Amino acid sequence: METSEETAPPPSWLQVVLIGRRPTRTLWRIVLLVAVCFVVFNFVLLPIHVEGVSMFPTYKENAVNCINRLGYVFHEPRRGDVVGIRLRAGRHVMYIKRIVGLPGETLAFHHGHLFINGKMVYEPYVKAPCDWELPPVTLESNEYFVVGDNRSMPAADHTKGRAQRKFILGKVLL
Amino acid sequence: MRSAWLRLILLAAFIAAGFLGWHYWFPSPERVIRKDLTELARTASFSANEAPLAKLYNAQALGKFFTPDVLISFDAPGASERMLQGRDQLLERAMGARSAISSLKIEFPDVNVTVAPDKESAVADITVKGRIEGEKDAYLQELRVTFQKSGSQWLIRRVETVKTLS
Repeated sequence: METSEETAPPPSWLQVVLIGRRPTRTLWRIVLLVAVCFVVFNFVLLPIHVEGVSMFPTYKENAVNCINRLGYVFHEPRRGDVVGIRLRAGRHVMYIKRIVGLPGETLAFHHGHLFINGKMVYEPYVKAPCDWELPPVTLESNEYFVVGDNRSMPAADHTKGRAQRKFILGKVLL
Repeated sequence: MRSAWLRLILLAAFIAAGFLGWHYWFPSPERVIRKDLTELARTASFSANEAPLAKLYNAQALGKFFTPDVLISFDAPGASERMLQGRDQLLERAMGARSAISSLKIEFPDVNVTVAPDKESAVADITVKGRIEGEKDAYLQELRVTFQKSGSQWLIRRVETVKTLS
């Protein structure tokens, strides 16, 4: 006895290439893939396109990266982490900055050097000479001080400052 | 049986059309404000090849989005603190900017509108992205815009900068 599948003519190569040998199975695979991509790229890894030079040379203009939203599930942000900070209106645009100050710390810049609680901190990621001066800032219990790696630009033109924990979306992946 | 299905489909289509029509002809305040902001971004943007008359017309066209006593306070990194009071002063500055800069592209990638319970005022938190021709970096700023209902229109009464990183 022959089944209808056995008697059916083999699918054309074009059909195999476009929708596979079993279209129903291909359709389910597509649905699953779309669902997985939707969840991953909306709730776990947020794709970002770097614009601007404030994180130069760590991240160059037009680089592509991801924000890992699960990066701070098991621990709080640490000094030196590069994080994505969302703005109040939404998350289509966000800041990419490095955390240099942790909650409760007092932070200052003197002759371009970072001082935490009065002690100078070595920053290996800063490659350009810097002459920033910033009076001491004491952070609240839910605040982090974030700044870009490009310290060659004038301090007044560089967006930096205190970011509340709730605005830190996650850690930059790569 | 078939005609019952047909009736059901027609009824669903009728309800969907009614729903869409209602939203089109009677948009919610939030929708009107979002639409106004999109138009504002388009009006505020200009290209290098804009004719002088068009430049003047488009700068003047900005006025229709604001109340006569609009207050704009601007304090952002890399710029001195500024305060503009009134629509005339704003238009004057807009004309000045169009003369000083060759082209500007304004976008509002994120808009978050909260309408007051009395539906007479609203606050929109917006992210402004501006790109000036010849400059490598796009300019990014968060603004809080207060709207006031005036007849059937929503006009901007106050604009202030918001510092995400204080």
